[in-house]
Amino acid sequence: MAVVPFHRVNVLTGIKASRIIEDPVQCADLILKARRPLLVLGAKLIEWSVDGKLALEYALDIARAARIPACGTAHVKGKMVELGVSPDSVYDAVEIVNALKDPDWRGVKKEGNHDLVIFLGVRSDLEEQCLSVLKHFAYKHLRTMTLDKYYFPHANYSLPNFKKDEQWRGFLEELIANLRKER
Amino acid sequence: MAEVVKELTRKEKEIRELVRAEIPWEPVGPTPMPGIADLRSWDMRLLKTYKPWYAPFCDLCCLCTYGKCDLSQGRRGACGLDIATQQARMILLACLMGCSAHAAHGGHILEYLIEKYGADKKIDMGTYIELEAPNIRTVTGLKPETLGDLKTVIEYVYKEITHLLDSTHFGQEGSYLDYESKALHASMLDHVGMEVADIAQIVGFDFPTSVADTPLVDMGWASVDESKPVILLVGHNPATSTTIIDYLRENGLYDKVEVAGICCTALETTRYSDRAKIVGPLSRQLFYVRTGIADVIVTDEQCIRTDMPIEGDKVGSRVIATLDKAMYGLEDATDWDTEEIVKRMVEDKKHFAILNTKKAAEVAAKVALQVAPQRRKRWITEEEAIELAKKCTNCGMCERVCPNLFSIGDGIVQVAKRNFDLIKEQFNQCIGCGKCEQECPNKVPIFKIMQVAASKETWKIRAGRGAVMDTEIRNVGAPITLGTIPGVLAFVGCSNYPDIDDVADMVYEFARRKYIVTLTGCAAMVAGMKKFENGKTVYELFPPEFDAGGVLNVGSCVSNAHISGAAIKIANIFAALPLRANYEVMADYVLNRVGACGIAWGAMSQKAASIGTGFNRLGIPVLLGPHSSKYRRLYLSRKEDDDWTVMDARKREIVDSGEPSPEHIAYVCETKEKAMVMIPKLCIRKNDTPQGRSIKLNHYISLYKKYMGGGLPEDVHLFIRRDADIPLVYKKEVRAYLKEIDWQPKEPVGLPTLIGTYPTKVPLEAVIH
Ligand code: SF4
Ligand code: SF4
Ligand code: SF4
Repeated sequence: MAVVPFHRVNVLTGIKASRIIEDPVQCADLILKARRPLLVLGAKLIEWSVDGKLALEYALDIARAARIPACGTAHVKGKMVELGVSPDSVYDAVEIVNALKDPDWRGVKKEGNHDLVIFLGVRSDLEEQCLSVLKHFAYKHLRTMTLDKYYFPHANYSLPNFKKDEQWRGFLEELIANLRKER
Repeated sequence: MAEVVKELTRKEKEIRELVRAEIPWEPVGPTPMPGIADLRSWDMRLLKTYKPWYAPFCDLCCLCTYGKCDLSQGRRGACGLDIATQQARMILLACLMGCSAHAAHGGHILEYLIEKYGADKKIDMGTYIELEAPNIRTVTGLKPETLGDLKTVIEYVYKEITHLLDSTHFGQEGSYLDYESKALHASMLDHVGMEVADIAQIVGFDFPTSVADTPLVDMGWASVDESKPVILLVGHNPATSTTIIDYLRENGLYDKVEVAGICCTALETTRYSDRAKIVGPLSRQLFYVRTGIADVIVTDEQCIRTDMPIEGDKVGSRVIATLDKAMYGLEDATDWDTEEIVKRMVEDKKHFAILNTKKAAEVAAKVALQVAPQRRKRWITEEEAIELAKKCTNCGMCERVCPNLFSIGDGIVQVAKRNFDLIKEQFNQCIGCGKCEQECPNKVPIFKIMQVAASKETWKIRAGRGAVMDTEIRNVGAPITLGTIPGVLAFVGCSNYPDIDDVADMVYEFARRKYIVTLTGCAAMVAGMKKFENGKTVYELFPPEFDAGGVLNVGSCVSNAHISGAAIKIANIFAALPLRANYEVMADYVLNRVGACGIAWGAMSQKAASIGTGFNRLGIPVLLGPHSSKYRRLYLSRKEDDDWTVMDARKREIVDSGEPSPEHIAYVCETKEKAMVMIPKLCIRKNDTPQGRSIKLNHYISLYKKYMGGGLPEDVHLFIRRDADIPLVYKKEVRAYLKEIDWQPKEPVGLPTLIGTYPTKVPLEAVIH
């Protein structure tokens, strides 16, 4: 049976649904294989916390472990600055997607467009729509991944719907460890 | 300029007759009653900078039996259509739905009023409004003088709708850009239809006009006296609601019956009687209906729930459908004897369609008076809520279906533990869709439990004032176009926002900063549903004038035409550019020189799609809340890469301004905080004087610092032309940054215009005033 996304406003009606990644090792491989990955951080990261640790901190750990540039959307930048990190770029979700879909865009580091974009913490209806833009208009040059707690059908790679926050945290921690190890 | 003499076609002659071209109040411009292709080149110029951004909901098209067709990864459907064009087609359909809703509303009101007063009834908008119909005059070239003239206008709109709808049929249009141009056309027509509707209402129902300080009226369910029979009006069309008030007044019953409303009908009714009550916006519709407080629910059109009779049955409220657009399968009792209808409704608990306003009004009053004493109406107590909440197993199903993506189950669990804090917070986020309760496997009566979370406060909102006065435009035209009033904001649209407080917070922030804040529809209501210092709402705290720091409730959805109208008035009254059949010139002026921005934070309906897209064609950017990515289409630029070339009409040369102002024209923001930063930026225009620009940048930078953790906006350099543009308080910091990035000053554009940068019939002289 097809996977039903956690928030049902995001149900897919179509042909191509994302591949579920349940293994953090495989996930780390996919990220490390990318030549120019980009992490897009959404405002939910400053709302969610797991066991007292802000979700944003996990995201920043991932960025650091894999040396991935991060784009702060919405007002995430404020919290990042508080945590002593400044984002590599500041765009809203729809703006970064608008740039990403252009194969000739120079990317946030001005080194060329990205080949993998990883979403984390954009509110799920907006994130699903952003993934749809890229699925339809950037499929030739860009793969998409989401590391959110829920399944996103429009991505190329998505995590499953985790029943418990702890499972998600476990995944992210293992992912971070693997990224550090394999880098 | 030498005029090219050409033979008028039969169609052109017909149009000239319809708009009475021989009356020389202004020369007739290039596009009287434009057809689909007449403003296409303007659209294409807009779309060149603000490219459509499509977020398809699905990979497929299923609009004909050749399908379903998979349109993913470059595939085309059996008709040749690609995914972008399919999205644009859906957008056009949405805009047509919106445009038709307002046009049909206007058409119905006109029929009703012409029946009552005759087609010759004069349009009089009061002492301070001579330019009575800026949209109509600009688009059609007709200066409407009577209700009959408005009928001519609405028939033009109807005709265009038919042609536009035709283009969505199988086959035919194959370009997403052309579909977008058609959507822009439909949405421009929407503003014409809205203007027809509201002018007719103002004239026919004696709504306030040529006045700023309309009465402050009561809002919130607590303002409804539940000990009296309650008639609840839901929808947008005031024909029935005003007749109900007339009936109650004429029969000495107005003290004995409460008249309350939800959605725009509520706003319209308070324009007619300041004793009517506003229950709240669309998002409170189902919640309030399920309290059962209403004895009679009277529906008209647009944004009413489609299950009203079913919901009425659940709580014993009787439903009367008064317009043919929504008859719910009910028996049509229009021709029945009044007493017979009353009897059946009271005794048999029946609902009816009654398409005669007078009869519907009489029945509503009589039924309310008779059933109220039989019905038991009350809100549940905390103890009862606690008991009901114990059924919740926290299974999480409600969260999965919630379109606002939160877990009401968590709040219910807290209620069971006698804690109401979370559910009160959640009630502010609830958009009232009812999906949670429907999905709950344990049949937890979520809406009932929410009654303990619902604030029993009342608020004050100013009754809708209609159009901005010509005198006001004369006073503020200069400061707006020079930039010393930092912007004109229009908070419009529905109640599909992340949190009900968001709109009030934004209005408060920008009114304090001396922006002019206009509001309509549900946005106007929710702006008043929060109290700030001294327990006052924004309507009590800020002046009601169209001037710096003013907060104006313009009226209902159809009153949006007065906001686009105000922008046109600035070009016509202040800059003295002729508007007659001169849409392109007006839109070009507004885009380049009027620092206006729409904020449709809770946009939900197709009407909101056409209202927003209509603003876009007129050159007004619209910022949308996060749900609006589900409209599937935005108009975005990419500031570093797009073409910011304009014509400097003074020098008659094309210059690369390098300045992305306005940066986007249809744009989704994820959070209120980011919206606060984007709004001042979207008010920047190329013709700002140094003083005006520094004021605008002052707001942009200070809000950026407030919400983005300090520092300077990443793109601030793009908006600084010379040192004088830099706000005084940030001089040092900005100068240091500019030095670091090796910024070079540039010449401000004297008279920026897009005319002359794309193929158009409009000569450059036309924009020089
Ligand atoms: S309209 Fe075109 S794309 Fe849509 S189902 Fe029919 S053939 Fe397929
Ligand atoms: S669906 Fe019902 S039982 Fe489940 S968490 Fe929500 S309210 Fe509780
Ligand atoms: S009614 Fe409110 S809580 Fe329930 S699903 Fe809808 S928005 Fe969510």
